[in-house]
Amino acid sequence: MNPTLSELEAEAGREKAAFGGDAHIVCDNLVRIYKTEGVEVVALQGLDLVVEKGELLAIVGASGSGKSTLLNVLSGLDVPTAGVARVAGMDLLAMTAKDRLRYRREVVGFIWQQTARNLLPYLTGRENVELPMVLAGRRRGERSAELLDLMGVSHCAGRKPPEMSGGEQQRVAIAVALANAPQLILADEPTGELDSETSEEVFGALRRANRELGVTVVVVTHDPLVSEQVDRTIGIRDGRTSSETLRREGAEGQIVAEEYAVLDRVGRLQLPRDFTNALDMERRVRLELESDHIGVWPVREEPADER
Amino acid sequence: MRVLRLARAHRGAVAVLALLVLSACVLVAGLPRTMQAAFDGALRQSLAAAPAYQRDVAVELRSSGPESDLREPAQFASYGEQYRDLVPEPLSGLLGGAGHASAKTYDTPVNGSGGRTYLNLGWLSDGERRVEWAEGRAPGSVGTTRWQGQTVPLYEVGVSAEARDMMGLKVGDLKILGESDFAAVKVVGVFRARDAGDDYWSHNGEILHVTRLQPPGSLDYEHYTTALIADAGLARLSGADRNLSYRWVLPVDAARTAARQVDELDAAVTEFERVLKVRPGLVSGTVVSTGLPGLLDGFRAALATAQTVMFLVLGGLLVVAVGVILLAVRLLVDRMDRALSLTRARGGSLRQVAGTGAVLVAAVVGPAAAAGYALSYLFPGPVPPVVHAGPVAVAVAAVAFAAARIAVAHRAPLHERREDVVAARPSARRITLELLVVGLALAGAYLLRTRGTAAGGLDPFLLVVPLALTLAAALITIRCYPYPLRLLVRAAAGGRTAVAFLGLTRAARTGSSGMLPVLILLPALGVSVFASVISGSVASTQRLASWQAVGAPVKITSDRELTAGEVERVRQVPGVARVVPVQLADVQVGHTAERAEVIAVDLAGWRELVAGAPVSLPAPPAAGSGIPALVSHELRGRGTFEIGWQSRLTITTRDVVTAMPGFFTEGKFIVLPFDVNPRPVVNALLVSGAADRAALARAVPDARVETQAATLAAIQADPMTGTVSATLLVVTVALAGYALVAVLITLVIGAADRARALSLLRTLGLSDRQARRLTVLEILPMVLITALVGLGLGLGLPAALGPGIDLSAYAGGLAVGGYDLDLTTPAALAAGLAVVAVLGAYAHAAISRRRDVSAVLRVGDLS
Repeated sequence: MNPTLSELEAEAGREKAAFGGDAHIVCDNLVRIYKTEGVEVVALQGLDLVVEKGELLAIVGASGSGKSTLLNVLSGLDVPTAGVARVAGMDLLAMTAKDRLRYRREVVGFIWQQTARNLLPYLTGRENVELPMVLAGRRRGERSAELLDLMGVSHCAGRKPPEMSGGEQQRVAIAVALANAPQLILADEPTGELDSETSEEVFGALRRANRELGVTVVVVTHDPLVSEQVDRTIGIRDGRTSSETLRREGAEGQIVAEEYAVLDRVGRLQLPRDFTNALDMERRVRLELESDHIGVWPVREEPADER
Repeated sequence: MRVLRLARAHRGAVAVLALLVLSACVLVAGLPRTMQAAFDGALRQSLAAAPAYQRDVAVELRSSGPESDLREPAQFASYGEQYRDLVPEPLSGLLGGAGHASAKTYDTPVNGSGGRTYLNLGWLSDGERRVEWAEGRAPGSVGTTRWQGQTVPLYEVGVSAEARDMMGLKVGDLKILGESDFAAVKVVGVFRARDAGDDYWSHNGEILHVTRLQPPGSLDYEHYTTALIADAGLARLSGADRNLSYRWVLPVDAARTAARQVDELDAAVTEFERVLKVRPGLVSGTVVSTGLPGLLDGFRAALATAQTVMFLVLGGLLVVAVGVILLAVRLLVDRMDRALSLTRARGGSLRQVAGTGAVLVAAVVGPAAAAGYALSYLFPGPVPPVVHAGPVAVAVAAVAFAAARIAVAHRAPLHERREDVVAARPSARRITLELLVVGLALAGAYLLRTRGTAAGGLDPFLLVVPLALTLAAALITIRCYPYPLRLLVRAAAGGRTAVAFLGLTRAARTGSSGMLPVLILLPALGVSVFASVISGSVASTQRLASWQAVGAPVKITSDRELTAGEVERVRQVPGVARVVPVQLADVQVGHTAERAEVIAVDLAGWRELVAGAPVSLPAPPAAGSGIPALVSHELRGRGTFEIGWQSRLTITTRDVVTAMPGFFTEGKFIVLPFDVNPRPVVNALLVSGAADRAALARAVPDARVETQAATLAAIQADPMTGTVSATLLVVTVALAGYALVAVLITLVIGAADRARALSLLRTLGLSDRQARRLTVLEILPMVLITALVGLGLGLGLPAALGPGIDLSAYAGGLAVGGYDLDLTTPAALAAGLAVVAVLGAYAHAAISRRRDVSAVLRVGDLS
C-alpha cells in the first residue's frame, strides 16, 4: 500500500538512530578535497569510521591513502569538505573558529611523526608540557611532573629537546598531548623515525595513557610492531576504509587476528587486490547469495559482445 | 620570558632586524636635524649678510607740529619701551641689543645753495657713544642769532669727516638753513664713527656719509648730509618748522632666527603693523619700516626647494628603510613559523600567536628605535617634529607588519601549501588595483607638469607623485618580469647546459613574494640615481655660475689704470700662462646724457683663455667699415652711432650679445676691440694659469683679484648647498647599503628552499661551481631588470618633477636647467648595485655549499 503524504511526513520527521550512535569518533561518508591553484586532490572519498571511547586503534595504509588527512580532520586542524565528522559529540564541520580552538585545547591532543616537530626546541621538557596549559589559560600545578613521570621521562623535565633521545622526545610529546587532559589522542606515525626498541617504549607510553587515563588513542602507523599490538587495525585505501583487523585473545592466551573487509552503509565492499589478482577478477564479478554467505565468482566465459 | 627565549633562538634574525631599525632611526631622525640646522644656518647667514636697515624692525613717526614733538631723550626711551612691548611673538624673541632712537630732519636745504646742498639735523639717542671727535668739539647748547631781521635759533652741529671733505664744511662755518623757516647752524666739530662697520651706521648712514645725486636732466650733483646735534638741539627741533621724523630701531638678532619660523615672522611683522595702527594711545601715523618680509621671502624660495628635494630624498630613504626592515621582520617571522605553528596547533588562539610574534618584534624594534632616536641627538641641530615621528613610524610599521603577517599566515591552524605550484593567474582584484595605482601615478605626474607647484612652502603633491611613480614602476616590473624570462627559459631549454635552464626556470617560477626586493631595490636605485642627477646638475651649474661671475680663471680689476709695469709684473708671477688686458669705461652715448659701459678686449684671446670652460663668449665681430661693436639688448637697433670715450668714436653694431661673463649680465654695454683707442687705458686683466692668488694680489696691490676657483668655493660653502650635497651623498650610500641588505635577506629567506633544491640537484651530479652559478642565475634577472628600471626611473624623475624643483638657490643664483644626463654616475650606481647583489648571491651560494647534502635533504623532509 502506498504511504499517504502525512505518513511520509511523519516518517521524515521521526528521529532515526544516527550512524555510529553515540560512539566517540564518528566519520560518515567523509570527503576532503584539496584545491590548490586549480589542481584538485580528493584525499578522502567517503570514509566511514566509528571508534568507541577508550579504544586503542591503529590506522594503516599506503602513502597517499589519506591517513594523515583523516588525522588532521580529527585533530581539528583541517576542515572536511563534506560528510559527517563527530568527535565526543562535537560536529567538526559545524564548529566556529572559537569552538575549534576550544576543541584543540580540551578534547584532542596529538603527536607528529617528526620528533623535532612536536616540541619547541628552546623550551625544556616541563615547559613544553606546560605550554598547552598556559595557552588554554589553566593553572600549571604539578600535572606536568605527573605526566612526565607517567611517560617515564621525568628525568627530561629540565632538558631541552636537543638534549633528549628520539624516544624521549616522543614520550615528552605524548605528555604534551596529554597536558590538558584530552579525551582523544591522535598520533601520526609516532615511531616512524625510531628503532624498534625505542618504538616499543613509545608505544608502551601510548598504551599506558590509554589504559591508565582512559584516553582514546588513534595511531596512524606503518610499524607492524604497533599495528599488531592494538585491538583493532583499520586499513585505508584510496581515501576509504577498506579493511579491519580485529585481535582477540584466544582460548590458550594466544592472539588471534581476523581480517575483515569493510562493508559500507550503501553496501560497497573493497576486495583485497591480492584476491582479485589471484582469480583474475576484473571489471565485473558474479555474486551468489547463499544461506550464510555471499559468493563472489569471476566471470566464467567472455561474452561475444565484449571487446 | 618565553618571548626572550624565542628571541634568543633566532638571535641572528633578531640582530639583523635590530641593526636595521637602529640605523634607519638614526638616519631618519638625524638627517632632518642636520638639514634643519643647515636651513637655520642659511637663514642666519642671509639675514646677517643683509644690511641692518633691511633686517631690523624700525618704527617711524613724523612730527606734524608742536603737539606731536618729542623733545626729551626720556620720551624716546619710553616710546621705545612701549613699541618693544607691542612686538608680537615670535618676532619679539628675535629682538636683541638695546636698539636706539633718532630724530632727523629731512630735505633741509642750505639757504642760498640753489637747492643743491642739503644739511639735515639729526639727533641720535646714543650719538656721543658712537662717534669720536676728530676736530673741534661735540655740539652743545642752542642759542639764537639774527637773520634777515628775524631771530632764528642757532644750533651747534658736528659734521662727518666725509661731509667736511666733500661738501667743504669746516669747524667754525655758519650756515643758514631753510627757505622760509630759517635756522642757523654752526659747525663746532668734525666726527668719525668709532666703528664705521657697525650695523648701527646702516641705519644712520646719512649722518656718516654724503649722498650725491644727479637729478634727471641736470649735469650738477646735489649733496645731502645730516649734521649731528646735541640733546639741547633736540629740545628745539619741531615738526612745525622742519620736516621731522622720529625713528626707533629694534635690532633683529640674526643668530636667533630659525628657518621654521619664517612664516610666523612674516605674520608677526604684519601683526605689528596692525597693532601700531589700532592701538589706542599711540600717535597716529606710526608705521613699521623693515625689509624683513622681503628678506624672508627671498629665503623662503630657496628653502622651499631645499625642503622639497630633501623630503623627496628622505622620504625615499624612509620608504626603502622601512621596506628592508619589513623584509627583515619577514625573515624573523618565517624563522619563528615552526614555533608559532606548533603553538597554534597546540591550542594557541590567533591573538596569542600573533601577540607573541608582535611582542617579540616589539621587544627587538622598540629598544633599537629608542637607541637610534637617542643617537640622533648626536647630530647637531634643532628638533623638527619629524625627528620624533620617524622612529615611531618605523617601529609601528615593523610591529604592525609582524602581527598582520602572522595573523594572515596562521588564520587557519594548519597551513600546508603545495609549494611546487606557482600562482598561474593573478586575481582580477589585484590587477584592477595595480592598474589603478599605475593610472593614478601617471595622472599625477601629468597634473604636476601641467599645473606646476604651489608657490612657496612644501607641496605635498610633489612628494606623493614620485612615490606613486616608483610604486607603479615596481608593479609593472613585477608583473612583466616573468615574460621576457620565459622567452629566455625557452631559449635555454634548447641549449646544452642545464645550469642556465635550471637557474632561469627557478627565477621565472619565483612567486610574487620572491619579487619583494624589487619594491625595495627600485626606490633605492631610483632615489639614489635621482640624487646623483640632482647633485650632478647642481655641481655643474655651480661651476657655470662661478665662470659667469669671474669670466676667466682669474680676473683682476682696478679702479685706476694698471701701468705697463704692473701688467708685466702680473705676467711674471709664477704659474701665469696668459694675460689678456681689458679696458673698462663708462662712456657717453651720442651727445646725450645717456651712458653705457664699455669693455674693450681682444675677444679671440679671451676665448682661448676660457677654452673648455662652461661659459661661452661671443665670436669677435668681423672687421669692416667702422669700429665693429657688440652691444647689449638695450642698445640694439642703433646701427652706427657715436660714443664719447677719450675722443669721439663712431662704432658699428655687428651683433647683439646677452651677457659678458665676469662683467655684464644686463644693462647697456658695448664690446669693442682692444685697440680702439690710440692709448689703451688698461684697468682689468684676465689671467689664465695656476697662479697663486696672493702672489697676484702682491703684484698689483690695490687691485681686486677674483679667481674662478675661489668663487666656486664660495658658492659651494653656502651652508644650505653644502648640506644638500652631503645629505644626497649620505642618502645614496645608505640606499646602496639597503639594496645590498635587501638582496641578502631575500637570499636568506629562500635559503632553505634553495638548499633543498640544490642538494637534490647535487645528488644528481651538480658540481659546486654549477650550484653557485645556479644561485647567481636565479637572482640575476631580477637584479638586472630592477637595475635598468631603477636607472630609468631615477633619470626620469627630475624630468617628471621638472617645474617643481628650482635649485637656483644652490647654484649661485643660476637656474639649474636641462638636467644634463651625465650617465656615468647613475650607470655606475646601477652597475655597482647589480655587481654587489650578484656577489652577495655568489657568497651566499659559496657558504651554503659547506652544508652536508644529506643533512639538508633530511631537513627538507621535515617541513
